Amino acid sequence: MTDVTPPAIACQNLWQVFGNGADKALTDALARSGGDADAAAKDLREKGFIPAVQNANFEVKEGELFVIMGLSGSGKSTLIRCISQLLDGTGGGIDIHGENIMEASKQRLIELRRKKLGMVFQHFGLFPHMTVLDNVAYPLRVQGVSRKARLKKATEVIELVGLKGREKHYPRELSGGQRQRVGIARSLVADCQVWFLDEPFSALDPLIRRQLQDEFLQIQEKLKTTIVFITHDINEALKLADRIAIMRDGKIVQIGTPTDIVLNPVDDYVREFSKDVAKGQHAHVSSVMQAGTEGVGPDDPGLRTDMTLDAALARCMELYEPVPVHDKAGKLVGMVNPADLAAALQVEEA
Amino acid sequence: MSAPADVSSGFVSLTVGAKAALITLVVGAICLILEPYAPWLVAWPKGWVLPTTDWVGSSLTWFLEGIKPVARMFSDVMRYPMDWANFVLNGTPWPLVIGLVTALGWYLGGLSMAALGFLGLSFVLASGYWAESMNTLALVAVSVPLALVMGGAIGILANEVPRVKNALQALLDIMQTVPTFAYLTPLLLLFGFGPVVGLIASAIYAAPPMARNVMLGLERVEPEVKEAAIMAGGTRMQQLFQVEIPSATTQIMVGVNQCLMAALSMVIIAAVIGGFNDIGWEVLLTMRKAQFGEALLAGMVIVVFAVIIDRMSGALATERKRYDRRVFWALVGFAVLFTVAFWSSMPNASDLTLLDPVADAVDQSLTDFTRTNGVWLDALKNNSMFYVLLPLRIGLDQAVLPFTWGFSWTSDMSQGLFLFGAVVGALIAWRGNLTGGLAFLIAIGMLETGIANLPWPFVLTGAAALGWVAGGPRLAMLSVGLLSTILVSGLWDRALLSLYLSGAAVFSCAIVGGGIGLLSAVSPLAWKIVRPICDMLQTIPLFVFLIPVLMVFQIGEFSAFLAICAYAVVPMIRYTRHGLVNTPDEMMEAAIASGATEWQIMRDIRGPYAAPTILLGLNQTILYAFAMLVIAALIGTTGLGQSIYLALGQADIGLGISAGAAMAILALIADRMVQGFAEERRKALGL
Repeated sequence: MTDVTPPAIACQNLWQVFGNGADKALTDALARSGGDADAAAKDLREKGFIPAVQNANFEVKEGELFVIMGLSGSGKSTLIRCISQLLDGTGGGIDIHGENIMEASKQRLIELRRKKLGMVFQHFGLFPHMTVLDNVAYPLRVQGVSRKARLKKATEVIELVGLKGREKHYPRELSGGQRQRVGIARSLVADCQVWFLDEPFSALDPLIRRQLQDEFLQIQEKLKTTIVFITHDINEALKLADRIAIMRDGKIVQIGTPTDIVLNPVDDYVREFSKDVAKGQHAHVSSVMQAGTEGVGPDDPGLRTDMTLDAALARCMELYEPVPVHDKAGKLVGMVNPADLAAALQVEEA
Repeated sequence: MSAPADVSSGFVSLTVGAKAALITLVVGAICLILEPYAPWLVAWPKGWVLPTTDWVGSSLTWFLEGIKPVARMFSDVMRYPMDWANFVLNGTPWPLVIGLVTALGWYLGGLSMAALGFLGLSFVLASGYWAESMNTLALVAVSVPLALVMGGAIGILANEVPRVKNALQALLDIMQTVPTFAYLTPLLLLFGFGPVVGLIASAIYAAPPMARNVMLGLERVEPEVKEAAIMAGGTRMQQLFQVEIPSATTQIMVGVNQCLMAALSMVIIAAVIGGFNDIGWEVLLTMRKAQFGEALLAGMVIVVFAVIIDRMSGALATERKRYDRRVFWALVGFAVLFTVAFWSSMPNASDLTLLDPVADAVDQSLTDFTRTNGVWLDALKNNSMFYVLLPLRIGLDQAVLPFTWGFSWTSDMSQGLFLFGAVVGALIAWRGNLTGGLAFLIAIGMLETGIANLPWPFVLTGAAALGWVAGGPRLAMLSVGLLSTILVSGLWDRALLSLYLSGAAVFSCAIVGGGIGLLSAVSPLAWKIVRPICDMLQTIPLFVFLIPVLMVFQIGEFSAFLAICAYAVVPMIRYTRHGLVNTPDEMMEAAIASGATEWQIMRDIRGPYAAPTILLGLNQTILYAFAMLVIAALIGTTGLGQSIYLALGQADIGLGISAGAAMAILALIADRMVQGFAEERRKALGL
């Protein structure tokens, strides 16, 4: 890699296989298949092993919000546990800021978790015998930060997640949404640089979920940490993500921006996900724009590249001829045929 | 947490725990100061004792004499099934019995269990205790159906009539906490000497586990299953017997397993009344004659039976598939053929003494062992007695003598000790734990005085304070009320002696068992080793624990202490490990992700989360210790256990029942208090 700054997270050929003697079984299976991941996975399954993550390769850039999406059992929770080293990966490598953490010592891992990594859990993982304040302050407590200092910091973070006034409550006295705010606050208290969120909003009801998503985006705006976010909800993924990785049966089948995923699904599995999505809200004009302005019609409804298809279509309702498209600065960059806009919105029949 | 500033801001602002500790401390201090002027504070004066023991004795005797004819008739009736079972078991040729048990083992658990049955019974045969074993089995065979029917009926009744449920629960508590020896005395009067007493006693003792499991099983049937039965149009009886009881089979089978084990254990204990040539009597006899090799052999026979019965009936409670019936019948057929073909040339089971040389060798090597290691064994025993147990019992002020400690205790030393307690206590309080500081000072005071010499107002206040903290005013009043009955009945000093010995044993078990449990939770390898030992210790009938300690340490309090510890430590280990291992995954992951080290996770997360479970383990340990305390009276304890045992020998119903009730009261109070603390911890965890 020639980049001066390495990516925040890089996974190379990452495998997580479950079963007794998985390490050796994986090495053998890869040797037999000559490095072909799919064949090796099939081989492992036949021998009674469970290849929960197969040959995962991706990089997450500094400050990027990377969403991993898939159905339950697709291996996404296992993958995030590999990256956060709650599970030791079976094979491959994980670099965080250029440091291979699969080789890291126990001591170093504890240090990394204290200084660099934060994690939020689906069912919150709150400590029932501690107050909200003590829960949030716990990561500082294990570092030996003085009581006064850690409570001060915890109070600040609690305020950030909007739980001010609940510091002395116990987790059991809070609603689901409030509990997850505590979980979020706890993961943020030690100023993490890489933030793992494992289906943080899945256990919440839809209204609270949307509210927390919005607040989450605001927090991210403020903190600009690198984020790995797990979800099974395509709408959540599209709303939050810079890039999305879609997993199926332990394999990453597609990595791309939300628009990519919606407009160019690589296979039926991904298409199946995007079927329910209101595409017009997620895809942008740039995705159907043609370069050049040859044959552009007389009307200019004022389309811009970053406009959603829905918005663009609303402006071209009465138009049939190609219309010009401008970039953010207002410069003419291409044209769009209104018919293409409408066609892109059509739900594909399976 | 209360900062030191809070102390001055007044009594009202203290936590309940701190208040309770403070009051106890003040009462204790007043008693200590007044002690020289008012000796009645320590020893409850003889003149104040109400003759309750005599009242209990005479009224019970009157009552029992009244129903004696009925009981004797029942006893005569019971003789029939007993003789019959005896005849069947003793009359059946031994190859056939071994073959049947092996075949049953195969059917329930496959090859390994068949091997267990075969090898186990072969061992019994070789030991020469075949006839005695069959006599014991005959007793079990008759008492278990009685207990199953009784327990099942109680369980179903409690399920069907919710109004009587609480009363029945209390009855079960009493049946299980009143020491077994205590109700042998009235039974003896009712049914006369003979095996029927053991039979009835073991049925009474074995019924509660069955009843509890039936209740639990029926409670746990899924509501939808019950509703489906109702909607199908079944009558209540149809619902119960066709749907609910079959759905609860697994749990009920657990009850059958526990019932069998309890019956076996009790049948062996009942041997102390004698009159029946069973294996328990054999152990007792050989122990009294100091033939430890023989006693160990007979004890091993009991263990073998316990293991076989436990594993086989345990297999009933798992929903695993059963093994091939054809093999079962083949084994039975082979046993029959073998018997028919060779019976005439086979030796009589009772004439076999294949293992006698082994027993002699054990005796010999034991004698050698105690002779060569006598010095350090004695040193171990004496040091534990002089430096730990005795000071606990009679206090440093009396236990420290030139003969043992090399100097005599002076009042200056007492004052120094109290000063030390006060300084350390103040330090703990200053660090924010006022209750802990006060408790430390109280503990120092108790160490100086000795548990057997504690002034009764202090004990009553302490019990009330603990009860208040653990379960509120009701428990406090219950504790004081029940303890007062012991006080006025004149059994107080014996109760304190029992309290001291079981307290010392429970304390040791808590430390050792907690440590082993912690180790087992951290290291799977350790658990692999500890687990079978725990299984074994829980399967062995109480009585057998006495043999090894007696062999090495002879009769005395230290042996009794060891026997109690060996029996009572198991629940502490199990519950500690269970509590620590079962921390929810997400909490563990959250702690790891927070960057906590393993030790920090143990201290901050797993420990507090496991606290209620560990407290329940402690509760079990306390109950186990009380149960063993009475049995241990056989090898030399003082206190209530001894009184119960003496009462049995003298057929003194009043003393037996009163002392038994006092014992049950102590166990009950301890149980309620620890349960109260566990409940409080659970609430604090939001469970």
